Amino acid sequence: MTGMDVGASVARAAGLEGRVAQLLRLGTYTAVALISLGVVLMLASGRSPLDVAPPLDPGHLLDDLLAARPSGFLWLGMLVVLVTPAARVAVSVVGFGRAGEPRMALTAVLILGVVVLGVVLGTAGT
Amino acid sequence: MAIALLLLVGGVAVGIFGSLLGLGGGLLIVPLLTLGFHLPLREAIGVSLVCVIVTSGATAGVFLERRVANLRLGMVLELFTAIGALLGGLVAFLLDERVLAGLFATLLVYVAVSMLRPRGATTAPATGGPADANGAPADGSGFVERLSGPGYRIRSLPAGFVGSVGAGVTSALLGIGGGLVKVPVMHIVMGVPLRIATATSNLMIGITASTGAWIYLLRGGIDPYATGPTAMGVFLGATIGARVAHRVDLRVLRVLFAVVLVYTAAQMVRRAAGMQ
Repeated sequence: MTGMDVGASVARAAGLEGRVAQLLRLGTYTAVALISLGVVLMLASGRSPLDVAPPLDPGHLLDDLLAARPSGFLWLGMLVVLVTPAARVAVSVVGFGRAGEPRMALTAVLILGVVVLGVVLGTAGT
Repeated sequence: MAIALLLLVGGVAVGIFGSLLGLGGGLLIVPLLTLGFHLPLREAIGVSLVCVIVTSGATAGVFLERRVANLRLGMVLELFTAIGALLGGLVAFLLDERVLAGLFATLLVYVAVSMLRPRGATTAPATGGPADANGAPADGSGFVERLSGPGYRIRSLPAGFVGSVGAGVTSALLGIGGGLVKVPVMHIVMGVPLRIATATSNLMIGITASTGAWIYLLRGGIDPYATGPTAMGVFLGATIGARVAHRVDLRVLRVLFAVVLVYTAAQMVRRAAGMQ
């Protein structure tokens, strides 16, 4: 790798870090906004945080949001919380691939594989 | 309304203390919810995992932009923290809650003792050699070399993998970010400067905690009503803590905090013994 190639690779990696940082911030603030809205709706409807909430049902999530049910916003906020780190890794797969770092891209793919396995095993236990 | 406010205020306090003392909120959220609000321990751990992801999300972005967090090293290690979290999340649903309470009490005592230990007692050993100013390795080649950064070179990578699995297991089992394990492993074992190890650990919390949190969520271990106000409070508290940290004398706070941790550990032991 020539000095110019190394410089270009470092510049691309710096761009990737910036994109990852933006994604993390966007995901976190979106999640906090959704959760805050859910908490306001929960209080407005007279529910207590210690009440048992309806379980997560992806099929009814949109209906819950349209009906302004607190559980809909809270569940969506939590899903955004959990998806954001995986989205950060997915962006890294592309970023490292473009930067010519196949081993880092493969590492990112393997991380996503472990997360997906967690989802599968979590679902299997329900 | 009163309970929601108490959870919010409790979350703010946890966020501020955690941020001032450089701890993730998980160490305090779990006792707050179990001892203060009588939530089942496993549910409190699930809530805590969501909260630590939220608090790490915003700060990790800042660390990355300031080039303090090492993205490459973080991603390589988080492959192993994720594997550990997967195992920890599965084991957590097999263990009796009293066993979890006992493990949590042990963790609290360990942290309390660490807090009272004189600062600077541990220093990073000499690093393997410098990298160039751009963070690229001095010889421009080699996967291990590319994980190094300006002024330091990574070593003992296999030991880092083992430590990372341990951090992941601890995270998913007890609802913490895992920095208590990751930072010493990176700093002392792998020769990463403390500031970079702390920032990189923070970046890794997202994947580490979310891998375990998915298992908790899908197995009904996370209640959104209890999570909402707590997560809001911890996020607010961490934001406030980060802004006032430079104005606070931490010496007295550390001792006070250690006392609180020991008291909390005693309560957890009582819970483990079935006395609560």
